Amino acid sequence: MDAVLGLQHPGLEQALSAFLHLDRLSRAFDGAAAVSDLSLEIDEHEIVTLLGPSGCGKTTTLRMVAGFEMPDSGRIALEGRDVTRVAPQHRGFGMVFQHYALFPHLDVGANVAFGLDASGLTRTEIPGRVDSALDLVGLPGTESRSVGSLSGGQQQRVALARALAPEPKVLLLDEPLSNLDATLRERTRRELRALVKEIGITSIYVTHDQEEAFDLSDRIAVMRDGRLDQVGPAEDLYHGPATEFVATFLGRAGAVQAVVEARGSSGSLRCRTPAGAIWDARASEAAPDAPGSAVNLLARPEALEMCGADESGAIAGVVSDRRFAGSAYVYSVKVDGGELELQTTGDVARHGDSVGLRPVAAPAGLFAFPRRPGGAG
Amino acid sequence: MIGRRLSWRGRALIVSVFALLLWAVVYPNFVVLAESVSGDGGATLRNYAEFFRTSSELWALWSSFWISILTVLLSALIGVPLAFLFAGYEFPGRRVLGALAAMPVLLPPLVGVIAILFLYGESGIASRFLQSMLGLESPPWRLQGPGAILAVHAYSMYVYFYLFTLAGLARIEPAVFEAAASLGAGRFRTLTRVALPLLTPTLAGASLLTFMTSMASFSAPYVLGGGFRVMTTQIFNSKLQGEMSMAMVETVMLAAVALLVLWPLSRWEGSREYVAPGKGTRSARVPVRSRWARFGIAAAAGVGVLVLVLPHLTLVLVSFVPDGAWTTETLPPAYTFENYVQLVSDPRTFRPIINSLLMAGAATVAAVALAVAVGQLVVRWRVRGRALLEGMVILPWALPGTVLAIALATTFSVNQPWALRWVLVGTPWILVLAYTVRVLPLTGRAALAGYRQLDPSLEEASASLGAGPWRTLRRVTLPGLRPAIMVGASLAFVTGLGEFVASIILYTHRSRPISIEILSQLRDFDLGAAAAYGVLLMVLVAGSFLLGQRWLGGS
Repeated sequence: MDAVLGLQHPGLEQALSAFLHLDRLSRAFDGAAAVSDLSLEIDEHEIVTLLGPSGCGKTTTLRMVAGFEMPDSGRIALEGRDVTRVAPQHRGFGMVFQHYALFPHLDVGANVAFGLDASGLTRTEIPGRVDSALDLVGLPGTESRSVGSLSGGQQQRVALARALAPEPKVLLLDEPLSNLDATLRERTRRELRALVKEIGITSIYVTHDQEEAFDLSDRIAVMRDGRLDQVGPAEDLYHGPATEFVATFLGRAGAVQAVVEARGSSGSLRCRTPAGAIWDARASEAAPDAPGSAVNLLARPEALEMCGADESGAIAGVVSDRRFAGSAYVYSVKVDGGELELQTTGDVARHGDSVGLRPVAAPAGLFAFPRRPGGAG
Repeated sequence: MIGRRLSWRGRALIVSVFALLLWAVVYPNFVVLAESVSGDGGATLRNYAEFFRTSSELWALWSSFWISILTVLLSALIGVPLAFLFAGYEFPGRRVLGALAAMPVLLPPLVGVIAILFLYGESGIASRFLQSMLGLESPPWRLQGPGAILAVHAYSMYVYFYLFTLAGLARIEPAVFEAAASLGAGRFRTLTRVALPLLTPTLAGASLLTFMTSMASFSAPYVLGGGFRVMTTQIFNSKLQGEMSMAMVETVMLAAVALLVLWPLSRWEGSREYVAPGKGTRSARVPVRSRWARFGIAAAAGVGVLVLVLPHLTLVLVSFVPDGAWTTETLPPAYTFENYVQLVSDPRTFRPIINSLLMAGAATVAAVALAVAVGQLVVRWRVRGRALLEGMVILPWALPGTVLAIALATTFSVNQPWALRWVLVGTPWILVLAYTVRVLPLTGRAALAGYRQLDPSLEEASASLGAGPWRTLRRVTLPGLRPAIMVGASLAFVTGLGEFVASIILYTHRSRPISIEILSQLRDFDLGAAAAYGVLLMVLVAGSFLLGQRWLGGS
């Protein structure tokens, strides 16, 4: 049957090789597309983060994987087996909810045991499994406490223990840290990564926080408007963003309008800015390379340095904002055709100063993207 | 306000609210209790001894109890699955049918009973229809006795379970059900291990309300009981026969049983309230996919709702029947607007409408004012004795209307100003007083809830901007409370409009309300006129509800 389907379905062969395969998933609510044609392959033991702004469809995607939403089209396959129409209770995926969804009428132990007695374990096996699950999350001996008496961080751990106790094949996490305060969030993030890596469970993590994504994931899938913009390890996404959205959503970047002058070496483009300076930038796949094409040139703050306003290869501008960020100073500089950002270790300029900017090691940290008519930097 | 010394005006308000509630709500009950043990110029338990010696008395008490237990079970059996159906599944017509399922609340108890009488009574439309269809010599059933009472109770009170369960389900965070599913729990397990335990406080609340309403129910046993007596009808009969001391003993016994049940159940209800944290994902109704299942559910729901709405339709139909025109036919043979015309044109028949509107209106205004004062004292000023204050506001809810009526009739039938007793019996004021006390729990609960939801920093902001207490109350507090008050007031007003239980004990010909007039039209076999009054009440009730809903929606 699979072979027959495989003929009609080019995605299936890949599905057989990938541990978890989301194959061209689409879901619309009242006619508005929440997720469109989303495909993603996840290897065993891998942690993949769905990252994107609110409303981008990342939670809908996760809920389709969990089985709470039925895709309008597309399939989900686990170890080559189609689970698209398998009910959530038979899918065997663990889930940690944003507000934890702990059962308020059950104590900690009974919450953790809930999935265990549903799985048909005997009465004698369950307490040991509850113990080890609570040990795992660092809450030993809390079985008989009511969930209402726990702090937010502890509730989050109980939710994790409850999801992990039945030993699911896949762990789904829906912004599980969003209800914790900043310091606790950072600590929990590191513990969570260590724990998930130690167990080696395949995980999908949903967040809108890029730091969380950087910290936790083997790969990040950046979503926008129900589609995947780019999938890859954090470094690849940061140093080689496929779209302007990825470049600005992951890390900071200033932008200036430019036109293509010529092709550069190893896939870079020579771009001319309105001020006349010529900078080399990494060309995104979609960037036009014909001379005279309009592009947006984006620059990471750390890829630029300050120099004299009239030095050759520099863009002149006026400092419009100066922020102290602890380890560095960040300046916004208004230039002809856009606004660039610059990060320095020393305090080198004041608000209103006229300065020049130039790349440190072009094309590193500079990216050219196609400019649509009317779109500005 | 805490820690600040109150002005003399504030203190005067506290004293008068306490005094008023003690006098109107608590005192009459003590008078009944005291008079029930007095006789022969001293204290005596002779009346109680007689009560416990008389088997018919004990039977009536026992009947009240078991009828109420069965009413709770029957109502739950209808209301809870219905709520799960409408909350959990999406099928054609769900919205309309879901709204219609609450229709029985539109019928004041007495109107509901006579509507059902017109439909299923010995000469009711449905009974005659079946009789002629099957060619029977006599009607297929007799709508009389405990079975009839239970049927009417279940019809009118399953709505409590239906609405409570709907609200309870809406309060549960949907992610909890998803968590259960992701942990491998199927539908049945999720129901028994998650949904029902989480609904326990809700179901306890609905059970309590249903039990108390059933214990206090008078219209159904009075009209349909035949020889079968429950406590409320027993009290009424004792009073009718002038056996006041026995009526008082019966009143005390009924109140005692009601309070005995209320106390443990209400503690249970309050002790386990689960509140959903934060935002939840909107709960998805399961769309019913199979065409046959969709059709089946919609058809079943449609038939079910038709059964629920038939009494209303019957009432409307009968209200167009001319006096004496409907004798042995299945459906009335002739129709006319005459009943409605007469209702407003004849001062004799118009009088009860005016009476009801005036007395219910006055009672509503009084109960709202008292409720707002209590809210201010309990929630804002946190005065000493606030638990007592809150208890006094809720107390009339626990006491059957018959108990209240006997208490007021006993207390205000003598002129003893030194004992704060005046002769109010025979005046409309006793009815206004009775209505006020009866509806006080409705306005009181609404006002207390409204005060508790109102952010106190709004009032502090008003004060910091230089507004005095009066200005703050008028410009900030009352507008903030308005949605809650409007809901409470509309409930109070419709309760007053249809009031029957206390009225039948306290009315005079001059002050007779609509419900009493319906009954006397019914006695004269002027069914059309009785039904026209019933329709009028139904429309007024629906209008008030809509108004209240609008205010709730606007908040």
